[in-house]
Amino acid sequence: MPDRLQQAITVLQTRFGSAAPRPAAPACPSRSSGIAELDALTGIGGWPVGRLSLLAGERGSGKRTLAQQSVASASREGPVAYIDLPGRLDPEFLSRLDTRLDRLLIVRPKTVTEAMASVRVLARSGVDMIAIDLPRRRAMGLDAELPHVLHRVAEAECTVLLIHDADADDAIRYYASLIVSLQRSAWIFGRDGDLKGVQVDATVVKNRLAPPGRRACWAVPYPIT
Amino acid sequence: MIGCIRTAHPALVAAWLTAPHLRGRALILGGYAQERGAVSAVSNEARAQGVAIGMGLTQAQQFAPEGIFQPVDEEATARVRQSLLSTLHRLTPDVAAGDDPGCAFLRLDRLTLRWPDRSRLLAEIACAVEGALSVSPAIGVAGSMFVSKVAADVARPGSPLIVEPANSAAFLGRRSIDILPLDDDLREYLELLGLRTIGGLQAISRPAFRRQFGIKALDVYDLAFGIDHRDWRPFKPPVRIQAAEPLDPPIDNTEALQFIARALAERISTSLLTYGLGTRALRITLSQETAKPVVIEVRFAYPVTTASELFDGIRPRLLRASISAPLERISLRAGRLEPGYVRQPGLLIRRDGFTESIADAVARLQEEYGASLVQRAEVHPDAAPLPDHRILWKPA
Repeated sequence: MPDRLQQAITVLQTRFGSAAPRPAAPACPSRSSGIAELDALTGIGGWPVGRLSLLAGERGSGKRTLAQQSVASASREGPVAYIDLPGRLDPEFLSRLDTRLDRLLIVRPKTVTEAMASVRVLARSGVDMIAIDLPRRRAMGLDAELPHVLHRVAEAECTVLLIHDADADDAIRYYASLIVSLQRSAWIFGRDGDLKGVQVDATVVKNRLAPPGRRACWAVPYPIT
Repeated sequence: MIGCIRTAHPALVAAWLTAPHLRGRALILGGYAQERGAVSAVSNEARAQGVAIGMGLTQAQQFAPEGIFQPVDEEATARVRQSLLSTLHRLTPDVAAGDDPGCAFLRLDRLTLRWPDRSRLLAEIACAVEGALSVSPAIGVAGSMFVSKVAADVARPGSPLIVEPANSAAFLGRRSIDILPLDDDLREYLELLGLRTIGGLQAISRPAFRRQFGIKALDVYDLAFGIDHRDWRPFKPPVRIQAAEPLDPPIDNTEALQFIARALAERISTSLLTYGLGTRALRITLSQETAKPVVIEVRFAYPVTTASELFDGIRPRLLRASISAPLERISLRAGRLEPGYVRQPGLLIRRDGFTESIADAVARLQEEYGASLVQRAEVHPDAAPLPDHRILWKPA
């Protein structure tokens, strides 16, 4: 910044205080999802650090597979946690995605309160990424918990990824900094007729960190041997 | 006068205490013979065969093929170190840990009031150390820590060496300059000047030494005359904070139990405040009249000191505890003590100033919500194609 401009800003800050012009906030750091298309879609190179991101989509839209790929990618960098409210997580599937299982903590809470307490405590202790698998019918009471959780998450610079059904609650939509809506456009079958993956159509519905509305389409292969 | 008490390396002492038959054998600690690593401690028998500390384990095996190789038991070693200092602390509070392992210092001035005869005093010290560690220490007595350490290195167990302050310079004069804490440059300079003994160094005048080597080297020069400027850092014995209350008649209702627990929390809090400490783990032991005692662990995310914070942790555990008989005693013991100032108000800094390890966080969650809350998974791809066989779930 030129000296004269800096001087002018200082004068304005002295005269007008907080109303004076100030440099834009630094770019939000991001954590790669391990999927190049998704990283490009977010506009900041991955999932935002210290914020809540929402992966929304109907059943079979590939949101859990994408979330688990992100967890696998983050586990290669540091400790990660997976809050498995439905109790459906398959570690074998994760291991096929090259997840470092020794760095993965799987939390199986009975209630949303337990889940959110776990997120708070784990985020604060230095876990890099927390994925929360939250079915729609279990989302009761989340609106009261989210502000506290996000405060801790922002302090601890932890990435929180929420996997939720298509119609997320207003509270989740409000607190999420990034909402990626997923839709299955086609199944991918192999030559032998076996299911090999899913073609997903992703749209950034909300983005506080980059322009929203971006769309991308890519194939998500299932790690089936 | 300062006494230096030197025992064998604490790792060796720990090994001897665990397996007394190893005494008198060539014992090499640091790892097993085939492992990559360095020797951490050696017995005199192994040293006589050429094994030295810092040597590779494979090389050590070549020197002492009949030697016994063992890894160092770190916990036991720490216990031995602590035991030596605690034993001396029982004699006098003026105790300091030495830089070398197995070495401790104590001021003898106050002890001479109790034992005017110096030889009797040194015999008492040796007896106390031998009683605690089952090894006979070498004792050196001199006017400073450095000289007493050199004297202890020279002395043999059972025959203390006393160097009067007036004789310190003469005592050191015969020794090699290697016993001084020289940096590489200074050592090289002194060798270039042909100075091999401390006596040679003593022959140089202080101003000349300062001109040649600078003001920082004057500490070494003073040490050569037995003047030690190092601070005396007194050993503080570990603090044990606990409170207990016998319940007579035995109680069987939770209201009364909470009332007493609150009083005990206040007592613990007072002790913590006295020492300026906070606790991160509290053990509650409930002794039952006709059943086994119930032990409850309470973990805190950060060091807590106040009675209300302690009781906030205690109360829900007491209400959840499965008590099957009237209680006849309740005791609280504070563990994992840390300085109480660790936690800063959130107004002053962005976070509230404490960090908790992931292991602690997981332990706290498991203690709060059950061991099955946080789990780790292991995949065994070679196992039978059944989920229970291929995936092993275990508490984190």
